[in-house]
Amino acid sequence: MSVLANAALPAGFEIDQYRIERRLSHGGFSIVYLAHDAEGKPVAIKEYLPNSLALRKEGETAPHIPSRHQVAFRYGMKCFFEEGRSLAKLMHPNVVRVLNFFRTNGTVYMVMEFEKGRTLNEYIQKHRGKVPERFIRAVFSRTLNGLREVHSHKMLHLDIKPSNIYLRTNGTPLLLDFGAARQTLMSEQPMLKPMYTPGFAPPEQYTDRENLGPWSDLYSVGASMYACIVGNAPPRADERIQVETLLPLTERKPAGYSLELLETVDWCLQLDPLKRPQSAYSLQKAVMRREEGDALPAGLFADAESRLRSFIERG
Amino acid sequence: MKFTIFQDSRIGQRASNQDRIAYSYSRETLLMLVADGMGGHLYGEIAAQIATEIIVGAFQREARPSLDDPTHFLRLALDNAHNAILDYAFDKYLPEAPRTTIVVCVVQHGSAWWAHAGDSRLYVLREGRIAAQTRDHSRVRMLLDHGLIRPEQAERHPERNRIYSCLGGDQLPQIDFSPRQTLQEEDVVALCSDGVWGPLGDAGMLAGLTDGDIMQRVPQLLDRAETLGGPTCDNLSIVAMRWHGGATGTVPFIETELLAPDHFTTHMDSFDTTTLGAGDVEFSDEDIERAIDEINATIRKFNK
Repeated sequence: MSVLANAALPAGFEIDQYRIERRLSHGGFSIVYLAHDAEGKPVAIKEYLPNSLALRKEGETAPHIPSRHQVAFRYGMKCFFEEGRSLAKLMHPNVVRVLNFFRTNGTVYMVMEFEKGRTLNEYIQKHRGKVPERFIRAVFSRTLNGLREVHSHKMLHLDIKPSNIYLRTNGTPLLLDFGAARQTLMSEQPMLKPMYTPGFAPPEQYTDRENLGPWSDLYSVGASMYACIVGNAPPRADERIQVETLLPLTERKPAGYSLELLETVDWCLQLDPLKRPQSAYSLQKAVMRREEGDALPAGLFADAESRLRSFIERG
Repeated sequence: MKFTIFQDSRIGQRASNQDRIAYSYSRETLLMLVADGMGGHLYGEIAAQIATEIIVGAFQREARPSLDDPTHFLRLALDNAHNAILDYAFDKYLPEAPRTTIVVCVVQHGSAWWAHAGDSRLYVLREGRIAAQTRDHSRVRMLLDHGLIRPEQAERHPERNRIYSCLGGDQLPQIDFSPRQTLQEEDVVALCSDGVWGPLGDAGMLAGLTDGDIMQRVPQLLDRAETLGGPTCDNLSIVAMRWHGGATGTVPFIETELLAPDHFTTHMDSFDTTTLGAGDVEFSDEDIERAIDEINATIRKFNK
């Protein structure tokens, strides 16, 4: 049974006021489609459809949910709503926006803005080992802007990784896929284990979940910067706890990167949460630190700096 | 409805008391429960507390003044308690949901119904014998039932604390529901945690509660269990009720005819290390619609 995946809704299928164009991605918890609204504007629609609990065959629209999974299915739906509720409150240029929420076909759908671009993961794959420092600093200082907004709403993302950082065609990043709510499915049924991506998840996400905090997302930010520099994810945190297999970047000394940036990444990747940056703001300051003569387009950080100022004034 | 009721919970030799007990009654219906939190730290206590609050809360909403269907009530209340514990774990990012045993009894119109998960027990004592009792969801009970160990071995079995059903945790609880049990005058219904029945055994429970005023007998019973429990004595909790039916007695029993139909009297330990969101236990179709409306309202507000 476990190998059966849910069939995606076909191209041209009309749902609520939207018309499906194609499937964008398929996870264990949901399917994301590219669709167009009544005015032809593209949107991304996320369909709640946990593989382990509901099955939709080819040609069907509503999933079949065995009665023994009804409770878990509803519970997961509640988590899906949590994600929507959290995102609806966030209005930030670096956080994906939710446009609508509806219920049909025996499940629920979240409509999000869709913009042209590609994921940071795709970028890394294409420029493996040759991602410039300037690019890393620019992308992550803005990603941290979005993350600060998330944290200021007392939320954690808990699944930051290059494939969840989307780069618009103008280069500005967008934080996608707020899996935080999904994390909590762990308690319902063994088959709904929290999903996290090995290598990008901090050690406390595997074991002491009561220690989760902003520093947990910052570990994942560090791991994503590491992936930009090295070309792949750092070793899994749960394995690093057993035997330390991570060679710090400051010792690895990859060419073309400043010591400051390598130190910043090492700082994020500390196993002890207390040794990491404690707030997105403090990490952002380190990421934005510029070397003398480093030619950075001034405009790139303008927005971040004004936000930093407003943060300081508030604080 | 006339009865005498007494409840007490003692810490034993443990660092904290993870047991919760409660009773609540309306003019026509009485609810009693014992929950024994598991896990060796604060979380077990929280699970027991959540279960107690949810079940007592449901009782007070629905017993006005009686329950339509006690078994149905028990089923829903226990399910909701289980889900409320999962929700708590969800909200607090706990590595796993805390657990608690549960035994709940409803007495209404001269009959009793009960339900349980785990090894907290209910006894109905009548005329010097055990008229009914729950069957523990424990390894030892299973071994006994399969004839693999003898009763005297069970008392000292190293795995006698292992249970396979509870509220919370990562598995769906197995909950047993009793058939309707008609009560007779002078019957004693006792609910207790393993800290009480463990040291005393069935014989000790029977001897301790058969006759006399339960207001005096229960404290004596707990003294005995605590002594036998020795230096590792577990938390001890009991709710015991003697049924007087319609007759009058010499003991100061509770006469519920005097209560207004919507009046409740509840006795429950206070607990202040946690606060629960009220009513977030079920997720019905209306809840789904409401959640969607709420999210869309937020979206409209922020997208202006």
